[in-house]
Amino acid sequence: MLAALLADAFADVRAYGTRTALQTVGVVLGVASVVATLGLSAGQRAKSMEFWQETGGTLKVLVYPKPLEAVRLAARERSSKGLTLADAAAIRERLSGFDLVATAVRKPFWVRSWLAQKRLPVTGITPAWGEFHGLTLARGRFFTDQDMQTAAPVCVLGAERAREFFGSEDAVGRVLRVGDHALVVVGVLTLREFYWSRADSWNALSWINELVLVPATTLTRRYLRSGSDQVDEIALRLASAEAHERAVPALRALLVARHGAEDFEIFDRQDRIQQMEQQGKVYDITFLVCGLISLLVGGIVVANIMLASFTERMREVGVRKAIGAKGWQIFLQFLVETIVVNGLGGVLGLAVGVGFVHGVAVLLDQAAVLTPTMILAAVGCAVSVAVVFGLFPAWKAARMDPVVALRYE
Amino acid sequence: MVARKPLVELSGIWKIYDGGVEVQALRGVDLRIYPGEYVAIMGPSGSGKSTLMHILGLLDSPTRGSYLLAGEEVSKLSPARLATLRNRFIGFVFQAFNLLPRASVLRNVELPLLYAGVPGRERRERAMAMLARVGLADHAKHLPAQLSGGQRQRAAIARALVTEPSVLLADEPTGNLDQTTGAEIMGLFDELSSQGQTVVLVTHDPQVAAHARRLVRLVDGRIAEDTGVA
Repeated sequence: MLAALLADAFADVRAYGTRTALQTVGVVLGVASVVATLGLSAGQRAKSMEFWQETGGTLKVLVYPKPLEAVRLAARERSSKGLTLADAAAIRERLSGFDLVATAVRKPFWVRSWLAQKRLPVTGITPAWGEFHGLTLARGRFFTDQDMQTAAPVCVLGAERAREFFGSEDAVGRVLRVGDHALVVVGVLTLREFYWSRADSWNALSWINELVLVPATTLTRRYLRSGSDQVDEIALRLASAEAHERAVPALRALLVARHGAEDFEIFDRQDRIQQMEQQGKVYDITFLVCGLISLLVGGIVVANIMLASFTERMREVGVRKAIGAKGWQIFLQFLVETIVVNGLGGVLGLAVGVGFVHGVAVLLDQAAVLTPTMILAAVGCAVSVAVVFGLFPAWKAARMDPVVALRYE
Repeated sequence: MVARKPLVELSGIWKIYDGGVEVQALRGVDLRIYPGEYVAIMGPSGSGKSTLMHILGLLDSPTRGSYLLAGEEVSKLSPARLATLRNRFIGFVFQAFNLLPRASVLRNVELPLLYAGVPGRERRERAMAMLARVGLADHAKHLPAQLSGGQRQRAAIARALVTEPSVLLADEPTGNLDQTTGAEIMGLFDELSSQGQTVVLVTHDPQVAAHARRLVRLVDGRIAEDTGVA
């Protein structure tokens, strides 16, 4: 009997084509806007994660020196030398939670080959630094432990620098003059590219292509000789995402204790992820609220049309009751009609929303992601709105006095 | 032909509407209708004949009095129970036909069986058989709007009869039809009556009432004349 009643309601939905279409529009737009906004915001986040995976993962923690304003410095603070190799050693010894510790020192030098000459920052690094930033080699080798111990006169170039100083020739094995010394190029890094969108001409990884790397010891012993052990960057990798909560505050505390002031800055990707997720949530909620408002409007449209069609169909309700329809059967009929109409609207809205997301993705060259959860949520929303807004008219119809309903003109 | 037990037994039926001003639509109606009877209820407008038909048809409940339908007291039943009895015992034919405009003739005729819970195949067969009986077998797939007035009323009669009701209740069944078509429809009622169907007509038209074998005249909510069981 239930199946027959459902079939009857379905037949009615088909019979009232225009009304069905009108009712659907509100829901279509609501679902479409929810799907579109969710899809675009998820796409943005997926793109950020991709960028991070490209450059050494999400467990990176970087420490940079941040000079304090001289006038306000206390004596103890003035004695601080900024970030040093000793800091890195202290971190390695005293802090757990990091599985990779590397340092980098940057100094500008004149760099010359037969082809070009340029004043450039040269970066003196410990070998772990390459792994830390996710650097890979196109040709040659990276620095060895022996290079480090002997402060070997060698360097590794980013792809762009190799092209700049050696043209189309293979740079490996060639000699590059850096400052007062001649260094042998032992390796060339893979050319790296990352564009936030296809329309974007800025390569977010160009800094890798522009590196001139030497062993840290080479820079300090052969060039600086001052005995200074200042570094420009301490790069740390968390052993796990869970370690983040304890390791980063411990790092800050340790460095403050050693320096007597917070003359450094910590850049922490886990922290950024959390911020991003927080922001993402705010966006998602905002968009969702907008979408839900349009769903609500759609629902009101549904209820309105149902109420209008209900007066139009009052007589029909009377006739149905006269031939023996019980209240719940009328109720079911009206409710099934709304659910079918809105389910249909939900599916259509989904199609429109998906189309919109892909349209925007192509036009504005934005990333877009759609998950089954989103799709279910959108259609579920549409149907529940329908049920909620369909309940009242259905209930009203079910309770109609048949004599009154029959007399209705 | 007349059985001993009445099909319908109204005793002391009052119907009072109280919408600010009290209106006594029925004031103590006693009426017995036996199986197989062909009754016409007549009366001027405002005499209470529509109210009586609604109560007879279980669309409305009396304010006072007792109504035994096939021996069961039905004056105090719930709306759902009334719907079930209506479906089983009563077949309605209206002046305005009251077919569902968007449903085919067949679907219209099937509908009472649907509410009775009759399974699909049987429903279809019984509806088709009933359409054949009123001469509309070829119009099963049509929409009501595609039929003439007479055909629509035939479809409505098929719908009323498809559940094999004890009483066929017709309210001005020829009111929206021309003379000739009206006569045809009345011929159909006569034929049904001769086959043993209990028929109750509610009308103000003496020509229509003349078809019945028993006349009940209603004036001011009371039975003024009853030609009695034939």
